[in-house]
Amino acid sequence: MSSAENERIAANVAQWTRTNAEFTDRDAERQWRDPQVYWGEFGTRDEWLGDVAGLGVVELGAGTAYFSAKLARAGARPIAVDPTPAQLETARRMQRETGLHFPLVEAPAESVPLPDASFDLVISEYGASLWADPERWLPEAARLLRPDGRLFFLTMSTLAHLCTPDEDNQPIVNRLVRPQFGPWETRWEGYDGAEFHLSHGDWIRLLRANGFVIDALHELQAPADATTHEYYLVIPADWARRWPGEDLWECRKT
Amino acid sequence: MQEDVDTIAANIADWTQANAEHTDASAEKAWAHPGILWGVFAIPEEQVGALPGSVDGLDVVELGCGTAYFGSWLQRRGARVTGVDPTPAQLATARRMMAKTGIEFPLVEAPGEAVPLPDAAYDLAVSEYGASLWADPYRWIPEAARLLRAGGLLVFLVNSTLVYLCAPDGEGVVGQELQREQFGMYRIRWDGAIGVEYHLAHGDWIELLHENGLEVEALHELRPQPGAVDPAYYDFVTVEWAEKWPAEEIWVARKT
Repeated sequence: MSSAENERIAANVAQWTRTNAEFTDRDAERQWRDPQVYWGEFGTRDEWLGDVAGLGVVELGAGTAYFSAKLARAGARPIAVDPTPAQLETARRMQRETGLHFPLVEAPAESVPLPDASFDLVISEYGASLWADPERWLPEAARLLRPDGRLFFLTMSTLAHLCTPDEDNQPIVNRLVRPQFGPWETRWEGYDGAEFHLSHGDWIRLLRANGFVIDALHELQAPADATTHEYYLVIPADWARRWPGEDLWECRKT
Repeated sequence: MQEDVDTIAANIADWTQANAEHTDASAEKAWAHPGILWGVFAIPEEQVGALPGSVDGLDVVELGCGTAYFGSWLQRRGARVTGVDPTPAQLATARRMMAKTGIEFPLVEAPGEAVPLPDAAYDLAVSEYGASLWADPYRWIPEAARLLRAGGLLVFLVNSTLVYLCAPDGEGVVGQELQREQFGMYRIRWDGAIGVEYHLAHGDWIELLHENGLEVEALHELRPQPGAVDPAYYDFVTVEWAEKWPAEEIWVARKT
């Protein structure tokens, strides 16, 4: 890994150590105990994964591994990968409390110490999808999957990114405030981590270059009764009812 | 079906007027252009790479060909083109250009929603601001899929989703404010317009293509070349805006 990449991963680990102390540690209990699989901040119920029983799953950027826990409850065999020790510590505590045990691997999605062509499903729900370099983690996802294996990843929508003010955790606006043509890597004032925001065209190009077929782009709409997330304030629910705040890509390895 | 007939008739009326105002007069220059250009900023195909590297010997159908300049560029490169358009006035202009240039290929008067051509007979279906914007995608995409051979390619240019979201009602250029919701976007008649346009969100395009056995290969989000100028006739967007956000996009999908 390059020194720039090491620095960026370290910055994201520092940011997520802080976020874990502020929010994800205390939120883990609720998430781990709720068997329902949701996508994103507005509680969109999954209707795309299908039956995951028996599937070998890797979650890239798993955080406190609640998504993997839900899949484990549904009979999958997940391995949760994340670079932030504090979040994996929370995941371990939840494993002890719930008895739901599966492997936790401390690694960035840019370099995953797991074997080639060994998994049926790769998931990233606001994980590698937003905080890892897509030119590094998509090849890793492709490498890990068996032929016909599926990749699902959720990230902030391109449109929401274009409407995001510079200041950290400020709500997005009904206006394009940053160009789409520009670098993917984004740093925010008052936020240590580095994010990657791609246009849909760029995602399609990278996915195709890594041997993926694009089965769907689910542009998520906040349900009528959804409220703005208690901690992640960037996408207000009323915005996400009019425009997609989150994109869920559904792909298949050829 | 009455609604379909009405929107098709409205678009024929719109393009009859546009042909009298602009496309008839600009046909000669467009047909004579040596390169293949995309969109209102005339971006060269060599910069985009949306089409097959060679179209020589390919059977091509152009859906919503207008005055058929795009088809003429492909015909000159060895393709066997059939141009399809519902507007008699534009086809008359195309015929005049054929007589003038000697570049001749079949023209069929029909909307993109119902094309009287055989199944699985084409290697390439193109629509450059044709059916792609003025035909109902839930009818013309199935038609494109039907016309293509297995392994054939569909390439179409549309306004970007961002242009749809940021276009003012009525007069004026695209700005930065989101003027309308994305959810539910599909069919729109702009204030003062005769015709009806169809705009889909990216996720809806992908779903529709996928359902019709068309595998998405690329979405080219176009950016003007350095030195590009504001469009003169299709003046909905400025270079300054299009330098920052894609005003136009090309979908490429392959029939499986």
